[in-house]
Parts: sequence; structure tokens; C-alpha cells
Amino acid sequence: MNKPSQHTHSIHFDGVGLRYGRGEEILKDINMSLLAGSLNFITGPSGAGKTSLLKLVYLHMRPSRGLITIFGQDTSQLAARAIPKTKRRMGVVLQDFQLVDHLSVFENVALPLRIRGLKRQTYGEDVISLLQWVGLGKRLYAFPPTLSGGEKQRVAIARAVIGKPDILIADEPTGNVDDAIGKRLMRLFFELNRLGTTVLIATHNHDLIPKNADIYKLDNGTFALETDGHG
Amino acid sequence: MVMGKAYNTAKQSPLLFEDKSDGRPLFMILVILAFLASLTLLATKTSYFAAAHWSAQLSDTATVQIKPGEGGLSQQTAAQARGILLQSETVTDVDILSQEQSKALLRPWLGDTSLPDDLPLPLLLSVRLKKGQSLDQQKITAQFRQAGIRADIDDHGRWAKSLTRSARMAQTISLLSLVLIIITLVAAAIFATRSGIAARRKFMSILHQIGANPNYTARLFSQNFALKSFKAGAIGALGAYLVLSLLAVLARDDGGASLFLPSLKTGLTDLYWVASVPVGMAIIAALTAWRTVMKTLIAEIYP
Repeated sequence: MNKPSQHTHSIHFDGVGLRYGRGEEILKDINMSLLAGSLNFITGPSGAGKTSLLKLVYLHMRPSRGLITIFGQDTSQLAARAIPKTKRRMGVVLQDFQLVDHLSVFENVALPLRIRGLKRQTYGEDVISLLQWVGLGKRLYAFPPTLSGGEKQRVAIARAVIGKPDILIADEPTGNVDDAIGKRLMRLFFELNRLGTTVLIATHNHDLIPKNADIYKLDNGTFALETDGHG
Repeated sequence: MVMGKAYNTAKQSPLLFEDKSDGRPLFMILVILAFLASLTLLATKTSYFAAAHWSAQLSDTATVQIKPGEGGLSQQTAAQARGILLQSETVTDVDILSQEQSKALLRPWLGDTSLPDDLPLPLLLSVRLKKGQSLDQQKITAQFRQAGIRADIDDHGRWAKSLTRSARMAQTISLLSLVLIIITLVAAAIFATRSGIAARRKFMSILHQIGANPNYTARLFSQNFALKSFKAGAIGALGAYLVLSLLAVLARDDGGASLFLPSLKTGLTDLYWVASVPVGMAIIAALTAWRTVMKTLIAEIYP
């Protein structure tokens, strides 16, 4: 993981708007600057546009207007071949987990390392340690269709963090787990954040948000900093 | 850590799963098309070579038939005719067929019945000509007449013309069949590849999401589909080769090749010919997979 400077922005949105097709804008004039290494939460009611905003961050779609800068690069100017490289610096946990059904838990988590051409000998023990840490040490050989929702979520989280990303993006990461596991997973995110990872989490569960986090509220497509964790 | 070590030495699972329920019928279609393509390829090749061989044989030879005169036929007359023929610039060699050889030529029509010795058979001279040259029939006939030899000269022109026409027709039909089968095979390989990729669309999106390079994903799919198409092609081509070899054995048991049909013999060269079918299929599948994956990913990379 690159150790970012505290004074640089990992993510910067300037007047960003998003609409699907010819419909109404679902995100309006979003201005946001997330410092490298910061811990950020986006809250808001269901349908407020949290998931759409995250999709813009992890380069899944382009904004209808405005400027998005990730790691100091204007994303509209990013060459196609640079996009996978930028994506590899991000860990993403989605609500539908996006697990590969024909690969075991171990292999799902190891996938980001495997596509980088790393040998299993170099990452095998790290993957197992991480899976033990998230409570899946006994499910290494299991396949996603046999896992519960909570287990799938933990596999997705382990896969997102195994590559030690510079930015971790999570959409309701504790939505399918009980409080104890939820708190444990959040501790993992906080630990990564302590090591320098910029964390951006969309959640409706205020109980999980620590006091030092920046909280943004998204409502009806508009965006505002609700609590400045450092202010 | 024991578990870690076990995982480190374990073989990695293939990244692309085999969709057997959807893949099997398409695989079978590819096998059958490869079988038909291989058969047609061999038939086309055989008909081409056979036609060329027949034409060459007929065009570079002539037959002289010396009719028995009042005093019958003597070896002296034959030798005299041979001498006249050899004087021609276009003739390279002349063989005088013995009575036994002449009788053997009649066997397909008269059977094994022994012919009476006093049956007045014509004397046959087989004339070999220089490649692409013909016999000056007018000049030779005049020379024969001058020497008192009654003879008919057949340069096989009528046969050659008719045979070449038939061979060309057979060549055209088999070539047309081959082209049609190849087009169908290409279309089936493209369809199989595309439907295979469509079934793995989610996996492709996940790879993209975690930052796999498009080339990595395209190579993964290309290799997988090329291998699958190669397997289908190899089974079909080998099947065709074995069927033809079996038919060749049966034809041999049945008394050998017919006079005018191409020989059914199969050899190592035929194996090289049919090997082109799986190789071609693999190349088509690899290119299609590569193109489809890249097209999908480029559209998806940052839409």
C-alpha cells in the first residue's frame, strides 16, 4: 500500500451530477474532498443515491457533469489501460457481494492477488490469516452458494482488503451480519484506516460510526458534510 | 501453518468454470461439424488429386491398335509400327502389349472364360508421350499406310475431355460443400464462444471490478475457448479419419478400388490435412473470444 500524505486528496468531486438516461438527476452538485487516509461515512435514507455515488468513486460509471479526481487524476482523462491499475488501488465491498460461485472462499479472497500474477506460495498464509481473522478459518474450502449472507459479506470484505488498497469503498458492509461480527469488521476497516487507507463507507447504521469519522449526509440527491470528525 | 502449507501446494482451480449443461450440446455440434468438414476436406483433396492424376495419365499417353490383316499379326508388324512411332519427336517410349496382356484387358467384359487362341485379337501398342505433347495422328497414319499397316490411333482425347469435365464437376461440388461446411463451422465456433462468454458475464465483471487488465481477461477466455474448440475439432477430425480408414480397409477386402473412383486409401498426409481442422477451429475460437471480451470490456471499462 502506498503511504499517502495526509494533505493530498484521494477523492475529489467538483460539481458532480448524475442522471440515468434522460431521467431526473439523482445526484446534484456534489462537492466532496476526501483526504488521503481519512475515515468517511455516507449516510442517508434508502434511495438517496449512496450506491450511485460509490459507483462514481470506484469508476463503475461516469458522471453526467462535473469533475471527479481520484489519486490526483481527472478520471475523465484516464486512459482505458490506466483504469484497471487505478481499480487495483481500491477495495470494493458491494451489497450483492460479487463472489465467484465456482471458486472456494480461499480462492475468492486470493483472486485480486492471482490476477496480479502473484504465486500462491507468496500469499497463501496471508489469505488464511485474514480469513481466520474474519471468522471463516473453517470455511476455506466452502463455495459461496453454501455460505450464509453474513459469511458471504465477510468473504467480500476479505477480498476487498487483501490487496491492501489505498481506498476502501464499502456499501452497507455490515448489513447482513450480527452486531458482534459487524463491530469486528468495522475494527478491520479502522485498522486499515490507521495504516493509511482512505475509507469510504455507505451505511444507515449510525451506531457503527466512530467519533473521529467525517460523516456526509446524502438526501434527495444533495450532499452535505454533517459532522467533521477532525473539526 | 499446516493448513496454509496445504493450500500453498494445492493446484489452483481453473478460473473459468465449465458450464456443462449449456456447453455440451454446442460441443457436440462442433464435433459433428468438424467430422463433416474433415470428411469433405479429404474428399475434396482426393477428388482433386485423382482428377489431376487421371488427366495426366490420359493426356500423356496414346494407344495404337493394329488390326489383323489377311496373314494375321506378326511381331514383325508390331516392331515396324513401334519403329515408326519412335521416330516421332513427341513419343518417348512404346510398349507392345503381349497377347496375354490384351486378353487381360478384355477380362472385365468377358470374365475369366478362357479365350480361344485363334481369336483374332488386335495388337495393342501403348505409347508414352512427352509431357503436354500430342501425337501427330495424320503423319503417323500416313506412315502406317505407306508401310501397309492397318491401325487405329486413339490419343484418349475424347475420354480425357469427358473425364476432365466430370472431375471438374466433382471438384466444384466437393469444394462448394467444403466452403459451406467451413462457413457453418466458423459460425458455430463463433456462436459457441459468444454464448460461453455470455454465461460467464458475471465473472468477467468481477474480474474487471477487482482490476484485472482487459488483456488478462481476454487471454483467459481465449485460451479456454481455443482449447475447447481444439478438443471438439480433434475428436471430429480423428473420427472422420478413422471412418475413412475403416472404409478403405473394407473396400480393399471387397476386391480393391474401382477403376474410375478415387482410391479410398488413407495415409499420414491425410492426417496432416485433417489436423488443420482443429487448429483452424482453435484459432477462430481464440480470435472470437478475444474480440468479444475486449469489446465488452472496452464498453464496460468506464462507460
